Amino acid sequence: MVSLELLKDHETVRSAPVTEAEALVDVRRLNLWYGKKQALYDISVRFPRNQITAIIGPSGCGKSTLLRSLNRMNDLVPGVRVEGEVLYEGVNIYDPRVDPVAVRRQIGMVFQKPNPFPKTIFENVAFGLRLMGFKGSELEDRVVEALKRAALWNEVQDRFRKESGLRLSGGQQQRLCIARAIAVEPPLLLMDEPTSALDPIATQAIEDLITGLKQHYTVVIVTHNMQQAARVSDRTLFMHLGVLVEEGPTELIFTKPKHPYTEAYITGRFG
Amino acid sequence: MNRSLESPPQAFSTDPWKTRIDRAFARALLIPLAVSIGLLALLLGDTVYRSFSVQVVRADEGPGKTYPFGLSANEILRQELLARGYTEEEISSSLQDPTERRVLLLQNRVELMWNTQDGPFRYVVTGLRDERVEDFSLAEGLRRWNELKANLGEGERLVLNPWLDQSFLTRPPSRSPLTAGIGVAIWGTAWVLSLALLIAIPVGVGTAILLEEYLREGTLNRILEVNLRNLAGVPSIVYGLLGLALFVREFGLGPSILAAALTLGLLGIPVIVVTSREALRAVPESLRQAAFALGATRRQVVFRVVVPAALPGMVTGVILSAARLIGEAAPPLLVGAAAYVPFFPNGPMSEYTVVPVQIYLWVSMNIPEFSRVAAAGILVMLAMLSGLYLMALYLRNRFRREW
Amino acid sequence: MEILKQRPSRNPKEVLTFVLLVSLSSVTLLTTLGVILSLVGDVVQFFRRVPLLEFLLAPEWTPLFAEPRYGIAPLIAGTFLVTAIALLVAIPLGLSLAIYLAEYASGSTRPRIKGTLELFEGIPTVVFGYFALLFVTPLLQWAIPDLNIFNPLSAGLVMGFAIIPYVSNVAADAMESVPRSIREAAYALGARPYEVALRVVFPAAISGIIAAIILATSRAIGETMIVAIAAGQRPTLTLDPRETIATMTSYIVQAATGDQPTGSTAFYALFAVGFTLFLLTLLLNILAQWVVERYRERYE
Repeated sequence: MVSLELLKDHETVRSAPVTEAEALVDVRRLNLWYGKKQALYDISVRFPRNQITAIIGPSGCGKSTLLRSLNRMNDLVPGVRVEGEVLYEGVNIYDPRVDPVAVRRQIGMVFQKPNPFPKTIFENVAFGLRLMGFKGSELEDRVVEALKRAALWNEVQDRFRKESGLRLSGGQQQRLCIARAIAVEPPLLLMDEPTSALDPIATQAIEDLITGLKQHYTVVIVTHNMQQAARVSDRTLFMHLGVLVEEGPTELIFTKPKHPYTEAYITGRFG
Repeated sequence: MNRSLESPPQAFSTDPWKTRIDRAFARALLIPLAVSIGLLALLLGDTVYRSFSVQVVRADEGPGKTYPFGLSANEILRQELLARGYTEEEISSSLQDPTERRVLLLQNRVELMWNTQDGPFRYVVTGLRDERVEDFSLAEGLRRWNELKANLGEGERLVLNPWLDQSFLTRPPSRSPLTAGIGVAIWGTAWVLSLALLIAIPVGVGTAILLEEYLREGTLNRILEVNLRNLAGVPSIVYGLLGLALFVREFGLGPSILAAALTLGLLGIPVIVVTSREALRAVPESLRQAAFALGATRRQVVFRVVVPAALPGMVTGVILSAARLIGEAAPPLLVGAAAYVPFFPNGPMSEYTVVPVQIYLWVSMNIPEFSRVAAAGILVMLAMLSGLYLMALYLRNRFRREW
Repeated sequence: MEILKQRPSRNPKEVLTFVLLVSLSSVTLLTTLGVILSLVGDVVQFFRRVPLLEFLLAPEWTPLFAEPRYGIAPLIAGTFLVTAIALLVAIPLGLSLAIYLAEYASGSTRPRIKGTLELFEGIPTVVFGYFALLFVTPLLQWAIPDLNIFNPLSAGLVMGFAIIPYVSNVAADAMESVPRSIREAAYALGARPYEVALRVVFPAAISGIIAAIILATSRAIGETMIVAIAAGQRPTLTLDPRETIATMTSYIVQAATGDQPTGSTAFYALFAVGFTLFLLTLLLNILAQWVVERYRERYE
C-alpha cells in the first residue's frame, strides 16, 4: 500500500516551519545514492539551534543516512554520491573545498551500539581533545567536565584513569561515548539510536542526559522508539522510503499528524 | 548566503600539514610492497641472467657435427655413433638397454647451441672430454665477443651457453658443471612428493573433517587443535631430524625415497588440515541442515553433501601444500638427499635427491660455473611451482561459488 | 515405536567412519610424540657424554676438533644475530604493509596484495639463500670492504624479506578484526585516516601484532637454507655481522651432510642442538598464543 511511486514527488508537509535565522543546519534538496541505489530523495529541512530534533520512521527509511550526511560520515562508504547542500552556520559542508575531517571535529556523534575505544576511560574522553591539540591540565579539566556533563563522573571518578572503557556496563559505555563526543564542545550532536542496545533503566538515564544537553548543544537524534521521540524532542521528522514525509513540532506530529502515512506510523499501523 | 567564496570556508578550512601527513603516510605504507616486488624482480632477473654465459670451450675432437632442432636425443645419438663407425645393430641394441643408454648419454652430451658453424639453434654432441677454457658473464662475453673470437686457440669454440636447455632437464648430476643436469632430482622430487601426499592427504583431510564436522568442541578437539597449532610452528629442519632418527635409523629405511616421503608427509599435514578446514567452513550451515532434515545420517551429510561441496577448496589447498613441500630442502637434506646420486630412482627404496637439495649442493660448491647450473636449477623449480600455483588459481576461480 | 529404537550412533557404518577419522587424526598426535621421543633419546645419549654445564657455558662449539668442545653459546649467538637483523627488516616493513592492508586497501586491491605476499611466501628458501650469497653479498661487500663472503648480514637482510608475509598477514588479521564501530567513533571525532590507524586501530590490535612478531621470530630462528648457504658454517661467538658464523640450523645441515659416524658424540650433538631449537621455537609459539589469549580486547 505504501509505495515509493506515491511518495516520489512528495512535497514535505511542514507545520510551524523553522526560519533561516533559527536554523543551525539547513539541508537543501539533498539527494544521496549508494552506488546505483538512491537512499535519500530531495530532502529539505532545517534543524533549529539548542533544540532537540528527532528523526523517526520505519527501518530502512533513510533516517540514519540523513543523520550521517550531516557530518559527512557517509563519505567513508565506498560508492556514495551526494547532491544538494547541507549548510552548517551558513557554510555548505559539501563544498569541494571543505575538509570532511574538519566538519566531523565540529559535529559530535553517538552511535547505536556503545563503541568505546579499548583504552582507559580517561583516554577515551581525551581522544578528540588530543586530536585538537589539548594537553596538560586543560585536557584533564575538560575530560572531567565532559564526564560530569555525561552524568558518569560519580560512578567512575575513583577509577577513570586506570579502568578500560570496555569494562563498564552497556549504559555506562554509552554515557562514556556521549562524554567523548561532547568533550570537544561540538555545537551539534548527532545521535543514532543511542539507546537501542540498552535496557530500560540505562535508557532512562540517557534520555535524562539528552534533555539536559539542550542548554549547550543542538541535538539531532534518530530513534526507532516513538515514545522516546515524544519524550525528549522538540521537533520531529517522519521519514519513509528515503523521503521526508512530514516535519513539525513534536506535539503536533504526535497529536495531529497531517499526512496519512505519518498517522499510520504513529498509530502503529505499519513500521 | 554567499556560496561562491574565494577562499575555502573558514570554519572548515583544512589543516594543510595534516592532510599532507595523511597522504604521505598512505603512500609510505606501500613502500615495502614496492621494495618486495622490486626484490622479487631482481631475484628473477639475476637468476635468468646468471643462467646464460659466454664460454670458450675446447673439444678435443674439434667442432662436432651439428644436428637440426627438433631431433630426439636418441636419433642424434644414433647418427653420431653411426658416423663414428658403429653398426646399426650395435647402436640399436645399446640404445635399448637402459644402462648402456645411460652410459652413452653420459659420455655423449647432446647440447643445444645458440650459434654453431652451421647456423643458430642446432644440437651438438660434445664428449666428456669437452673442456672449458674460460667462462664469461653475458654482458662481458657479448661485449668482448669479437675479441674473444679472434683469439680462439686450436680446437676452441666460442659459445653462448644457455645452461637451462633441453638436456639439462633430463641429465643426471655430474662432477663437471658442463654435464650436470637436474633430471635425477626431478624424478626424485616426483617420487617423494607423490608418496608424501599419499600420506598427508588422508591424514590432513580426515583430521579436518573430524574437527569441523564431528568434534567442533570438547577435549579431543582442544588437544588436536593445540597440537596442530604447535606442529605448524615446528621448524621444518626438526622434522628432518625426526626423519633421520625415526625413519632412517629406527625403522631401518636408510637414506631412501620412502624415508623422505614419510618425513615430508608429516610436514605437509598441518598445512592440509588448515586449508581443508577453511574449505569445509565455507560450506554454509543451511546445506547441512537441509541434508539432516531429509533424514541423512551424520556420515551421509558429511560425505555426500559437505565434502563434495568443499572439494574444490580442498584440492586447491592440497596443491598449495604440494608447492610448499617441493621447495623444502632442509628435511630431505637430513634424510639422505645430499648424497651424489647419478642414477634415476626406480622405487621407494632407491637412493634419491630432490630439486631444492640439488640446487643447494650446487650453490654450496662455490664454483662460479656451478652457480650457473644452480641458476638453471632454480628456474626449473620456479617453473614447477608456477605451474602448481596457476593450477590452484584456475581451480579457485573455476569453482568459486557464492553461497 | 519402531523408529525410536534405531540409535543412529550405534549404526556400525557411522561408528566405523568416526573411528577411522579419529585414527587418522591421531597421526598428528603421534608426530608430536615422535618428534619429542626421537630427539629425547639421542639428547640423553649426548648428555651422558657431555655435561650440561659445558653445553650451556662453554664458549666454543668444535665437535670435530681433536679435543672437541660442546658449548652452544656460539650457535645461539649466531642464531640471535641473524634473527635480529631479519626482524629489523621484517617488523617495520611487515607492519606498514599490515596497516595498509587493514586500513587503506580497497576491497579489490586487498586480495591482490595478499596474493603477491603469498607468492613471496611460496618461494623456496634455497632460492633466497642463493640470492643472498650471489647477489646481495657482493653488493654489500662493495659497501663494506671487510665483509666476509659468508656473513649474517646478507643472510639476515634477505631473510627479513622472506618473513615479511608472516608479520604482515597475522598483524593485518588482528587489525581487521578491530570492529568497524570503533573506527567510526574515531572518524566522527574528526580523526584523519592515519590518526585512526596509528592511535586507535594499532593500539587496539596490539596483542595480535605482538603475536605476529613473536611468530616471525620463531620462523627466523628455525629458518635453515638461507643461513646455511649465505651465513656460513663456522661457529663463532661474536655479534659482529661481518664475521662468518653458524646458527643452530646451519650447524645441523652441516653435520647432517657431513659424515659423522652414527653413535659418535658429534652425531648426538646434532640432536642436542635440534632439541634446543625445538624447545626455543615451541616456547615462542606458546608465548604468542598466550599473548593473544591474555591481552585480547573483548568488545561487548
